[in-house]
Amino acid sequence: MTRLQLALAGCLVLCVSRPSMAAGTAAGTSIQNTAQVTYSIGGSQVTTPSNTNAITVAERLDVNVTLQSGPVSVQGGQVNRELVLRVTNTGNGDEAFALAMTSAIGGDNFDPTPATPAIFFDTDANGVLSAGDTAYVPGGNDPLLAPDAFVTVLIVNDIPTGLANGAIGFSRLTAQAKTGIGTPGTVFAGLGTGGVDAVVGSSGAASNATGEYVVSDVSVSNVKSATVLDPFGGTEPVPGARITYQVLVNATGSGSAANAVVDDAIPANTTFVPGSLRLNAAALSDATDADAGEFIPGAGARVRVRLGNLTAAAGTQTVIFQVTIN
Amino acid sequence: MTMTKGWFISMGVVALSVCAIAGSARAADPGCIVLQNIAEIEQASTDAKGAKSVKLVPAVKVVPGDTVIYTLKFRNSCDKPAEKVSVDNPVPEHMAYVAGSAVGPNTEISFSIDGGYRFAKTEALRKKDSDGTERAARANEYTNIRWVMNHPLAAGAEGYARFRAVLE
Repeated sequence: MTRLQLALAGCLVLCVSRPSMAAGTAAGTSIQNTAQVTYSIGGSQVTTPSNTNAITVAERLDVNVTLQSGPVSVQGGQVNRELVLRVTNTGNGDEAFALAMTSAIGGDNFDPTPATPAIFFDTDANGVLSAGDTAYVPGGNDPLLAPDAFVTVLIVNDIPTGLANGAIGFSRLTAQAKTGIGTPGTVFAGLGTGGVDAVVGSSGAASNATGEYVVSDVSVSNVKSATVLDPFGGTEPVPGARITYQVLVNATGSGSAANAVVDDAIPANTTFVPGSLRLNAAALSDATDADAGEFIPGAGARVRVRLGNLTAAAGTQTVIFQVTIN
Repeated sequence: MTMTKGWFISMGVVALSVCAIAGSARAADPGCIVLQNIAEIEQASTDAKGAKSVKLVPAVKVVPGDTVIYTLKFRNSCDKPAEKVSVDNPVPEHMAYVAGSAVGPNTEISFSIDGGYRFAKTEALRKKDSDGTERAARANEYTNIRWVMNHPLAAGAEGYARFRAVLE
């Protein structure tokens, strides 16, 4: 922050009825106190102010790293698989943080292999590793965060081959205040924002979070085809023609795709044919009920078929439904 | 005329005593009572035998969540009793008054929640929420504290008022 921005932030805190920021009163703020005494002596009333004492708010060094992604399903041999984390400055001053990651962690089934580089900022804020993301360079672009501000960080690993289905691998991101870390209460004289003292807060000025990769050696493919039957026995897509859609779903690999669902929108300018939904040739009712599928009318009309935990052993799943062209 | 004369004499005494106490070279007349405002924090320590103790040290640096103890010392340096002695302290900006922390020997303590316009005992301080329901005001909503001495402060006598506040 520039000095001007800091001054503006200070003004906001002062002028807008004391917002309760999680990080607390900003470092460098002067807490001033003046009392007054009033009394009567010899019949005349006197009011005198006390001295004003001013206490400068020191910078509290605190940080919190949180995992934003749940267990990430991976397959052996994949490269550049990311975990999403968030680094939040929970202190009360502008602070830069040093980041580090490791995947050599006990208690799991395998060690993911950190990519090079292995830490990225989610610069384009899309939650996945993409071309627009900037690699982290220690000491080069350490994130400088205002109080309560956060940065989204991706840690990136390659997945070894030959892993058992269900195997788990951990990877961890650590953030440390650049001013210093230590036991809570440790003081770094004069090293805080704007030259105030910095004091290590309850986090120890360091924090980490661990995410996990789960090997799910399965991939699901689907192929959709359409057959048109017009009212005259031909195949012209004219109003009144009926289109039969067929979706073929296949799982390959040794794993299981949990709760696989076929969710297919009814195309614009067509109308679902009641009672036409099939799974593997068995009719499914249109209603949302105990069977595996339904037609969901209204805006965004669609068919939905639940395939359960899909494995390669289950073979090809065939979903069929029909629409008419309006 | 006699009163005016006495007034000036007592003022001279005050000016002298202030210089002696504070060593200040203030030209302005400070009056009979000088209010000294002290900010301290508690510092816990453990001695070689493992005994824990807490002492008050001057508040130099604080971080959010720290408690500051403000002490307001006063002394009547004139040769006449001071009547209706009242000490007022607005709760400092960025700080929240700690419930039940205000003390002061021989004083009646009251609080304000409207910036010092009206003062009342804690139980009489009511706040309306945005939905119109009335409730007791919370300590962190107090804006001012007032100590009123329940007897005159004799010549040469001292007193103090004290409260705690937490840095937000």
